[in-house]
Amino acid sequence: MKNFLVMLFLVITPAIYSQSFRRDLVAVRSPDLTNLEESVRNQITELQNSLAATAKNPAQSETALSEAYGKLGQIYHAYSLIPSAHDCYLNASLLAPKDFRWTYLVAKLDQQEGRFEDAIRRYRIARTLRSDYVAVPVNLGNIFLELNRLEEARASFKEALEIDKNNPAAHYGLGQVALSKRSYAEAIQHFDKTLAQVPSANRVHYSLAMAYRGLGDVEKVKTHLTQQGSVGVRVSDPLVDGLQDLIEGVRVHLARGKLAFEARQFDEAAIEFRKAVAAGPNNVAARINLGVTLSQLGDAQGAAEQFEEAIRLEPGRVNAHYNLAILLAGQNSHEKAIAHLQSALAVDPNDMNVGSLLASELVKAGRCREAIELQRRMNLKPSPCRPPE
Amino acid sequence: MRTIATVLAIFFIVPFSATGQHIVFKEVAEQVGLKFQHYNGMTGKFYLPEITGSGGALFDFDNDGDLDVFLVQGNVLEPNTQPGNTLFPWRGPQSPRGRLFRNELLSNGSAKLIFTDVTQQSGIVATGYGMGVAVGDINNDGLADLYLTNLGSNQMYLNKGAGKFTDVTKESGTDDPRWSTSASFFDYDRDGWLDLMVLNYADFSVANSPNCYAATTAKDYCTPRVFRAPGNRLFHNKGNGVFEDVTVPAGVSKEFGHGLGIITADFNNDGWIDIYVANDGDQSQLWTNQKNGTFVNDALLAGAAVNRNGQTEAGMGVDAGDFDGNGTDDIFVTHLTDETNTLFVNLGEAVFEDRTREAGLGMPGRRFTGFGTFFFDYDNDGWLDLFVANGAVQLLPELVRQKNPFPLGQPNQLFRNTGKGGFVEIMDQAELQPLEVSRGAALGDVDNDGDTDVLVTNNNGPVRLLLNQVGNQNHWLGMRLVGRSGRDMLGAQVEIVVDEKNSLRRRVRTDGSYLSGNDPRVLVGLGQVSKIKAVRVVWPSGTVEEWKDVGVDRYTTLKEGTARR
Repeated sequence: MKNFLVMLFLVITPAIYSQSFRRDLVAVRSPDLTNLEESVRNQITELQNSLAATAKNPAQSETALSEAYGKLGQIYHAYSLIPSAHDCYLNASLLAPKDFRWTYLVAKLDQQEGRFEDAIRRYRIARTLRSDYVAVPVNLGNIFLELNRLEEARASFKEALEIDKNNPAAHYGLGQVALSKRSYAEAIQHFDKTLAQVPSANRVHYSLAMAYRGLGDVEKVKTHLTQQGSVGVRVSDPLVDGLQDLIEGVRVHLARGKLAFEARQFDEAAIEFRKAVAAGPNNVAARINLGVTLSQLGDAQGAAEQFEEAIRLEPGRVNAHYNLAILLAGQNSHEKAIAHLQSALAVDPNDMNVGSLLASELVKAGRCREAIELQRRMNLKPSPCRPPE
Repeated sequence: MRTIATVLAIFFIVPFSATGQHIVFKEVAEQVGLKFQHYNGMTGKFYLPEITGSGGALFDFDNDGDLDVFLVQGNVLEPNTQPGNTLFPWRGPQSPRGRLFRNELLSNGSAKLIFTDVTQQSGIVATGYGMGVAVGDINNDGLADLYLTNLGSNQMYLNKGAGKFTDVTKESGTDDPRWSTSASFFDYDRDGWLDLMVLNYADFSVANSPNCYAATTAKDYCTPRVFRAPGNRLFHNKGNGVFEDVTVPAGVSKEFGHGLGIITADFNNDGWIDIYVANDGDQSQLWTNQKNGTFVNDALLAGAAVNRNGQTEAGMGVDAGDFDGNGTDDIFVTHLTDETNTLFVNLGEAVFEDRTREAGLGMPGRRFTGFGTFFFDYDNDGWLDLFVANGAVQLLPELVRQKNPFPLGQPNQLFRNTGKGGFVEIMDQAELQPLEVSRGAALGDVDNDGDTDVLVTNNNGPVRLLLNQVGNQNHWLGMRLVGRSGRDMLGAQVEIVVDEKNSLRRRVRTDGSYLSGNDPRVLVGLGQVSKIKAVRVVWPSGTVEEWKDVGVDRYTTLKEGTARR
């Protein structure tokens, strides 16, 4: 019955959206929610229902309807359901043309989807609605840069500096404009200012290296290349950044945490994994990922708690046992580590990582006969072992 | 080096159909007998290999002067699964396998383009989970051999002549049991024998494949980064039918990523062939040949490892060519949606600059996920244009919404070189527009009419053969460059001297693009120029020869050591 209702809703929703007291509203493309996480599906469905109710009620003002479209657009946007988000924002902006948020967010999606001329037009409108939002000129600058319209890019980034005189994203953009023009010294000035504001933005070192290469300064090139990394410069954008707070469920946080972890941004990864655990306390993957991240951050106790909870939830989870064993081995708790490694090996007898660590722990614990037997069985390199006296 | 192209561009003609659309290609695969449907074995569990393959090759296996076709096939991934019981069930009369098609253009007397499936009699048994194909003559007998990459053991097929191939993987020592993707034949030590570089992608197994989710929270394909990168392999051809694994002593084991695309060329013009590897989500490598059997990765310092913002991108396909006519090979790498396909312009001596946006390639590339790609002069105006085969790797919400059963399809793209350092996308080209999940792309003049045709391989879709409709309206020069043994001399550099001021530079290769093998012949567009002064060839050995009075609008074979002094 529940499934039937969901399906029925999916069928009728577009029709409801189309019924509007403003003829120029677009029909919102309703996304396929079938395979989304259940809590996310419910969250979206609730807002779809809310919009449908608002649209049906003739007593509701255009402002209220705009707000309903905008809120649904934000949820779609947060979950990267971009075509549907775009339609919603568009309607919200048509109903409330003086509301900066919706025009800005439509422009943002136009930019993201490569509809640059639409994005430029809408950002320019957004700028008239709110002249202090620094992300508008920065985004415009980035679009012009992408289009190789360097003078317009420069003007936009300078406009951003008029709003925020040290804005790192604007300086970075100006540096890129200068680099494109092979004005290397000027590029270096702007990149240095960027780094002064955001020292962690180690990707800027690559741009600096290229600028110094243009000047023929090989030593500086090498210095900056050794410092270059994956952290870039972002403009402060509360409207877009705020979308993250709308996200429910485990999966998105898990995915974001993994990305941050791969980029070695462990603090950020821990925040995402904690959100994932909060959204799904019984999610074993979330707990293991949080544990691994915490151990990278040096929080052995916190990490152990997460691994133990993961094992409680799923006693046969090999990587929970393995990661906990690594922690215990690091604390010289060899017997405890051995117990977890044996549990892991019972599940997957051919796991070489587990086997190697177990053999090593057995050696350290002086359990030589078991170590030799394991090394032989798993074709591991024998290591000297001394039994306890 | 100066170029003739500014002169030639004036004479460039773009034909229009009655509807005003450019007619550049006509798709004829099925019509000419290339009946092939790629099978990926997908079962709904989102295994990464399902959407990674496969490629194809244009090569003349029977030396009859026209290009034959080899097409790589997928298979089932999960044990105990039958090909007929997957999401897109296999309907063929036999099990899925790679197929060899013979081009009958020059054998049937009617000059009609028609292909015959000769797989059965060829001896090629490619029934693994196929990924790519590389072409090169490994024993200098003048017959093109095949190297097939798989998820699992690879296969080396020696061409024995008379349409027969023999599996020599074991004897040659060229197997790699990992997940191999693109491979390249080239002679890195100038000893006269083709060596082999094989890329490996990810340490995948059905058992170790985790669940991954898109930002929508729906289950989706994982990025390769959830799997360890296994490292690549370089094989040195000892000349006796045996290859030696020199990965470690040659230094190419020092750095690696999730390898997908490879191109070899002499980027620093020192006479020795270098290697460029495009990695999916890791920095690219530029292995500079040290002339002593070893290589050093100079990509970062050279400005070709990451994009201009210092961002590592998801490198898929790659090609190199002198698009700006300055006498050096530039690099073009295809990437994911939201990333640009990146053009690294060679400023000389392998110093590169990302000039993607200046060349007008930034925005068009962000819309799609690019795979197969190559520089080629589709309109024979003397400037190298670009082809990009596209297809997503994450479910596209709009296609999901439309209930598309395989929601990864994207159109392919053609870019015309403006002759001023940039490109413009040729729009409204109907044959490029179908939303298919394209992966491999190979170039070659399939009908020998003097313009470059395109073979596109689609994942979970039919092969496409795009016949060029415009190129031979300009003059052209076709060359096959062979060594003393009759082998195609991959890596040979060709300079076409038009007059005292103008010349064009091309090279012989079969590698590049993605999982695919290209026509080794060199086809040079000449615009309205009907006579050239000379053709100068720098052979891989370093020797230089010059031919005068090479005729245009025809193919000529230039054999090493035969130029009149």
